[in-house]
Amino acid sequence: MSAANCILVVDDEFQIRRALKNALREVAERVIEAESGAEGIDLAATQHPDLVVLDLGLPDMAGADVCREIRRFATMPIVVLSARHDEEDKVRLLSLGADDYVTKPFSTVELLARVKAQLRRARTQLSVPPETPIIAGDLSIDIARRVLMRGAQAVRLTPIEWNIVRALVLAAGRTLTHQQLFDAVWGREFGDPQRYLRVHITNLRRKIESSPSAPRFVVTEPGVGYRFELP
Amino acid sequence: MNGDRALRHWLAWGSVLVLVTVALISLRAATEQTYVPVTYLLVVLGGSASGGRKLGIALAIVSFLVIDYYLQTPYDHITVTKTVDLVTLAAFLVTAVVASTLLDAAQRDRDAAVRHAEEVTRLAAEHEQMARETEKVRALREGDRMKDFVLASVSHDLRTPLTAIKALAQDETRTGSSRATEIEEQVDRLTRMVADLLDLSRLRAGKWSFTPELNAAEDIVGAATRQCAALERSASIVTRLDESAPALYGTFDFVQTLRIIVNLLENALRFTPDGATVELEAHRKGPHLVFTVSDRGPGIAEAERERVFDAFYRPEGSIADRGRAGIGLAIARSLAAAQRGALTHHPRDGGGSVFELRVPAADVDERELGES
Repeated sequence: MSAANCILVVDDEFQIRRALKNALREVAERVIEAESGAEGIDLAATQHPDLVVLDLGLPDMAGADVCREIRRFATMPIVVLSARHDEEDKVRLLSLGADDYVTKPFSTVELLARVKAQLRRARTQLSVPPETPIIAGDLSIDIARRVLMRGAQAVRLTPIEWNIVRALVLAAGRTLTHQQLFDAVWGREFGDPQRYLRVHITNLRRKIESSPSAPRFVVTEPGVGYRFELP
Repeated sequence: MNGDRALRHWLAWGSVLVLVTVALISLRAATEQTYVPVTYLLVVLGGSASGGRKLGIALAIVSFLVIDYYLQTPYDHITVTKTVDLVTLAAFLVTAVVASTLLDAAQRDRDAAVRHAEEVTRLAAEHEQMARETEKVRALREGDRMKDFVLASVSHDLRTPLTAIKALAQDETRTGSSRATEIEEQVDRLTRMVADLLDLSRLRAGKWSFTPELNAAEDIVGAATRQCAALERSASIVTRLDESAPALYGTFDFVQTLRIIVNLLENALRFTPDGATVELEAHRKGPHLVFTVSDRGPGIAEAERERVFDAFYRPEGSIADRGRAGIGLAIARSLAAAQRGALTHHPRDGGGSVFELRVPAADVDERELGES
């Protein structure tokens, strides 16, 4: 059984579209193609794909604008293909509503892994605190009751650590930028506390990871933010 | 030159004096006494004006003596008796001094004018030279800027065709083609070269952006080993961090520091023999947070220890076919220096290399964390 019904590929290079189409057939029953941003937005609106793979270097409009436009009417995951390698660009894309990105030249194996992760995340969307605890490896996280168990042991978290866990777990599989985490944990408060995000992450990892310097759950996306991975 | 000229003046005016004296002696009976001092006065004046003070005074004294001895009655006797004689001598001397002083002043003015003119010429030449050099620097800088721009845009534009080739090759690999795997490997090699070129252009353009922030050692160690996981084919990375001790912090740019450590790990993994390990360790040393990457590779000969940090440096006899431009360590060192850190190499006991990265350490006061 396929993981997705339909995936939309937006790329102006015919060869890349063909290769992506072949690779994505592994996870989707149907792969549709658009070779311009306008056509991509059109197909995203009319065909309701389960996921969009979007190249940023389109001839007719900036990829970031396509991303923003699609986000006006749809919530399906968007995985971006970018030729740029700088972190500011990644942060900008994530805050515009992209869910993940791969940098060119990417391996189709890697892209497939990202696409699968996004499809899985979309199916188990946790926008509201779920009633039952979330299980991740040896962790059991009960968001509603604010209880985190590691094996049979309850882990004591500080209020800030709780807010971080909550924000990360509710967006599991998706990277939250530093700014998104600041907003989720400290709200509109500015200044010093934000300086200590990395200290809180370090303390949190020491409580929930078996090896804090090789984390399985709270993963660093360098220069961008943090992501909670469901193993 | 000056000595020659002075000598010529002395000879010339000496001759004039002799000629005047000879002439006046032969005419002394027929000449009126009053013409004599006036004639000599002209000689003293001329000598002082053209030959300077010493010649003037010498002429004045000689003239006075000559007048007294040959041209004044009683002839052929020195007889300084009359007041008028002393006045003549004084007049000669004063004439000599005044004339030569005027001459000196005129000469000084002339010399000053000449020096001034020379200075103006020199300054003009200097100015011209500076203008030429400024123009040259500007041209060089413009050339560099263009080169960097071309490097950056070429390496950016290369990514799209590289992506297409890689995607097509991977597509072919699925059908079991071994050539497709080779194509993919070559694409990866080309991609690394393009990345190196882009890095070099950024390095030269000084376009690295730094945001030094409070960061944990274990965070960057985790990110570095995660990024290098794909390279751990024959050799593996072992991290040494005391996770029961309080966490280590530093003030550094996470992304750029990660680049340094990943570069060191990649190098170490490439040079470490199969089955051996590469060790990544972090500790606090005074005001520094220190990361070390140790390998059991061939090590680096003493003569080459500093040169490995030069751009485009390749050790002699090394295989050029590594697919890297040889700028990784040069970039790593300048990234370290740019955030008040340092990157050094030491030989490792028992063989191999130790690369040591220092960045400023930071202390965290847990009471400031905002948990009340």
